[in-house]
Amino acid sequence: MKRRKIVSSIALFISCLTALWGIFWLFFIIFDVLRHGISAINFDLFFKDPAPPGQPGGGLRNAFVGHILITLCATLIGVPIGILGGTFLAEYGRKYKISKFISNLADIMVSIPAIIVGAFIYSVIVKPLGHFSGWAGGVALGIIMIPTVLRTTENMLSLIPWTLREAAFALGAPYYKVIIQIVYRGASTGILTGVILAIARVTGEAAPLLFTAFNNAFFSINMNEPMASLTVTIFQYAMGPYEEWHTQAWGASFMITVFILFTTILGRILIRRRYKF
Amino acid sequence: MSKISKSKIKDFMFLILTALTAFSIILLVSGIFLVLLKESLPAINKFGFKGFVFSTEWDPVREIFGAAPALIGTLITASLALLLAVPVSIGIAIFITEIAPPFLKTPVGTAIELLAAIPSIIYGMWGLFTLAPIMSKYIEPFFQSTIGKIPIVGKIFEGTPLGVDLFTASVILSIMIIPFTASIARDSFNLTPSVLKESAYAIGATKWEVVKDIVLPYSKIGVLGGVGLSLGRALGETMAVAFVLGNLNQIPDSLLDAAATVTVKLANEFTEADKDIYLSALYYLALLLFVMSFAILALAKTFIVKAERR
Repeated sequence: MKRRKIVSSIALFISCLTALWGIFWLFFIIFDVLRHGISAINFDLFFKDPAPPGQPGGGLRNAFVGHILITLCATLIGVPIGILGGTFLAEYGRKYKISKFISNLADIMVSIPAIIVGAFIYSVIVKPLGHFSGWAGGVALGIIMIPTVLRTTENMLSLIPWTLREAAFALGAPYYKVIIQIVYRGASTGILTGVILAIARVTGEAAPLLFTAFNNAFFSINMNEPMASLTVTIFQYAMGPYEEWHTQAWGASFMITVFILFTTILGRILIRRRYKF
Repeated sequence: MSKISKSKIKDFMFLILTALTAFSIILLVSGIFLVLLKESLPAINKFGFKGFVFSTEWDPVREIFGAAPALIGTLITASLALLLAVPVSIGIAIFITEIAPPFLKTPVGTAIELLAAIPSIIYGMWGLFTLAPIMSKYIEPFFQSTIGKIPIVGKIFEGTPLGVDLFTASVILSIMIIPFTASIARDSFNLTPSVLKESAYAIGATKWEVVKDIVLPYSKIGVLGGVGLSLGRALGETMAVAFVLGNLNQIPDSLLDAAATVTVKLANEFTEADKDIYLSALYYLALLLFVMSFAILALAKTFIVKAERR
């Protein structure tokens, strides 16, 4: 009897330790990025373009602007396709087996290696055009966004009670009007959360940009040219030999981490408020 | 009359629009597969399957390419990461579902899930500048002086502890994949009917016995699904590993060797591939990775679906 109790408390204690282990790494990483990054944040980082390699000064204006443009392009591709696709799965197609299949496939696609998407886009966009471009980067990230947005939209629409739709049908509204004016309105917070989380996820992606948007040491807002992004710049600078580069890479990491933590937590608060989980 | 048919047409158009976007997922997945296959055809024809997968040579100058070192690197990092992460994840899931007081459940759950929100490039950065020095200074010498002294097993810790090696990469990967297994395991644990648990408590079982003999057996399919999901993630992780692995094309003797994985090779060499056959060989690697991770993720998904249906 006593031995069993001791075994039980030891096992439960170990389980508490594992939770601490996970939380320990989270705080270790976040504090480390904050500690290194905060000293790298200054006016120049945002408003100056990179100095020639090895020389002090300069900033990452090109990467910040490029990153925003590429993410914007990805959002414009991924969000509409994701929301409309999710609408089909939850509304028109909810009775078909193929919808279940598509939604499972989307779940798998969420975890497919991002670098594969980069290789795919390299073959269908970069090679035929003959050069790297911001568009290619945007499309690659857009593709990564689609399944995430699609799945959250599907889930959020399914949470809207059927009686609400039936009330609208009874008034003679066609299905598309019911969806747009009733269902979307009811699920708007949930869908918005999905979009926010998808943007947060895509912001941190580097692998799919390596051979689509590539990199650009100069300021450019031409999406048809190779374009710098924060994540690819972090990779290049961190692996580079210059102390100055490392500092700037920490600065960029700091900004990305803060942005992603902020948006992720915001998304969670939004969804919790709306659905009271 | 005309009003009704007009709205019917609009409705139909909206239906078509949503259906097309939904089916774009199927199109994308098959498109990715076909494009990778098409691009890797020259390499498939030249090296074959066995000649590629089991060959250790990677020589762009002589145009001989073999995938064995990269594949082995991928398998070692992914399985070691799994080995380190799965017990921790299950422990965390037990903590959240069975032990934690209600006011701790949400914050701890959120904190663990935030681990998944941190982008892999940040893990890589942190791994290279913070974790790698710690590993090479303290942790790896410690393992060398303990496990390293045991005759046969000790071989895996031979070599100079530089911090840029398989061991560090696996540790980083293991931290990254904790949240995936943990959250799926937590959901599966929550599906255990409380009647079962209460019956066990009623006949005098301790909390650990309830977890071990009731909850875990009941939810093992779901947990297995979560493990599969983590494995799929670990196989395809690129940036976090690229920082700390060194892209060295050799079959590693010990965990303290630099190595390459499929993803690291792709990330480092894709834009440098100047010959068609070189690029094609890289696409062949990408194809193998895609098929592997897709198969594992699909299997994991069927487990998870099965667990939910019970």
